[in-house]
Amino acid sequence: MVARALRTVRVGFWLGWQVQSNWTDPFLFFVYSVARPLGGTLILVFMFFVVAGGRRGPMLDFFVVGAALWPTVVWAMQGLAWGLLEDREHFKTIAYIYTAPIPFWAYLVGRGLASAVVAMPATLLTLIAGIALLRVPIILPLDHIPYLVAAFGLGVVGLLAIGMTTVGLLFLISGEAWRLPEAMGQALYLLCGAVFPITVLPGWLEPAARLLPVTYWLEAMRRVFLPADAVRSFPGMGDGPLLGTLLLVTAIWAAIAALAYAAGLTRARQKGILDFSTGY
Amino acid sequence: MRLQRAWYAIRGRAYPRTVGAAREPSWIFYDLALPILGVFAFVFVYRALDAPAQFTSYVIMGGATIAFWMNVMWNMAAQFYWEKHQGNLELYMMAPCGLVPILLGMAWGGMLATTVRAAVVVAVGILLFKAPLAVSSWPLFVLIFTLGLIALYGLGMFFSSLFLLWGREAWHMVSLLQEPVYLVSGFYFPVRALGLWVGMAASIIPITLALDGLRQVMFPSFHPGLLPVRWEVLGLAALAVLFVVLALRMLRFMERLARQEGRLSFRW
Repeated sequence: MVARALRTVRVGFWLGWQVQSNWTDPFLFFVYSVARPLGGTLILVFMFFVVAGGRRGPMLDFFVVGAALWPTVVWAMQGLAWGLLEDREHFKTIAYIYTAPIPFWAYLVGRGLASAVVAMPATLLTLIAGIALLRVPIILPLDHIPYLVAAFGLGVVGLLAIGMTTVGLLFLISGEAWRLPEAMGQALYLLCGAVFPITVLPGWLEPAARLLPVTYWLEAMRRVFLPADAVRSFPGMGDGPLLGTLLLVTAIWAAIAALAYAAGLTRARQKGILDFSTGY
Repeated sequence: MRLQRAWYAIRGRAYPRTVGAAREPSWIFYDLALPILGVFAFVFVYRALDAPAQFTSYVIMGGATIAFWMNVMWNMAAQFYWEKHQGNLELYMMAPCGLVPILLGMAWGGMLATTVRAAVVVAVGILLFKAPLAVSSWPLFVLIFTLGLIALYGLGMFFSSLFLLWGREAWHMVSLLQEPVYLVSGFYFPVRALGLWVGMAASIIPITLALDGLRQVMFPSFHPGLLPVRWEVLGLAALAVLFVVLALRMLRFMERLARQEGRLSFRW
């Protein structure tokens, strides 16, 4: 069962990579994969400099690390959703894939991971540009690497869980289905402290931010890359408790994702709309 | 007679979108509530930086403009890609109305959701964030807005012609024209911050001049304009003519090329 799931993830990953990348040559694909994230980062950089009058400050460091990691957030989460939508609405292959003797969720996870990998060059390039051009004090001491690996792994699982929850909803949505993954990304952008500390959010919105694994993941990654005196979303929380909270919230979201996926799939099959597509 | 056929085609293509929006009102949540949250994220960025209130207005205006940009790029330009997949494109080519009325119908049909989205962004921005959005000259505001829309939809028609020949490549290109365009057009900050020449180069995108002109009309003493307003109005008028003429020519040219190369119904 596990071996079959892993094999399906691998095949889903391969297919996802082909779908993402084989429409052009590698150089153009690289440009494509970094242009949007770099554009997003530069928007924040210019917003900062317009207000700060050209002077740098700690919020710039916060922006750069958050903006560097954001593509991974968006692409991993949306990759699952796009995988479902492309197969259902675009390639019209969902019926064939679903009826194949593979766990469908594992196939979608593979598609999501392929998207996350596409985001990696943009993440690396943004961090490098941040160090070289904006003098962001990004450091990676060797003793931070186990923390980085643990936090990154949990973060990716959390992102896939949010993506799978979205898939559960998408099973039941037709006309606006294409907009939902993008919209979910927009909502996360506001809530998870990607580009500003969640302490800036109004009091009634901050609890929502605390329910998302991405909030803790981004904070953990900032603690890995930035010095101890950097701006933080959870200034009163230590590194260990932060990782523990990330683990707990990720586990909760994994359970929610499993329920949402199963419920959405069951209902879609009952209504006969699993391969239902509308475009107007 | 030709005008009547064009009008029927515009109405006919707009109909499924308008009716679809009414039949499936869930778009109000997916297309309004959630994207607005993304716009508000930029408001909080400025709040984290203790920026003056006018910067909140910049973000609100940029957020409202995104609705139009997305409508033009996805519901108009890239729509031919989906029509190819669904087999409708060949039917459009056979219809005795031409492609332009079809494109205008798409834009018109998507305008309901777009206008509502833009209006909601502005309304929530004023009510929730107390964004100062005063207009110093309504005639000038309406003129810039109208010219900007004509130029923008001309650009959308121009891009749609690419889909007659290409498939995934053009889709990815449209996908690319989001954050980089938001950056160079100054959706969230004065475009002058990019420097005069970058701003001038970015003015080929009609939204750049339109947003800058509207901001000058709204914050005459605060906003560092790229050019004097009357120059921007002239520029927008030139872009409107240029893109509409270019779009009509490109649609004819690309259609002929796609027919010659047999790629009109090539789906991938």
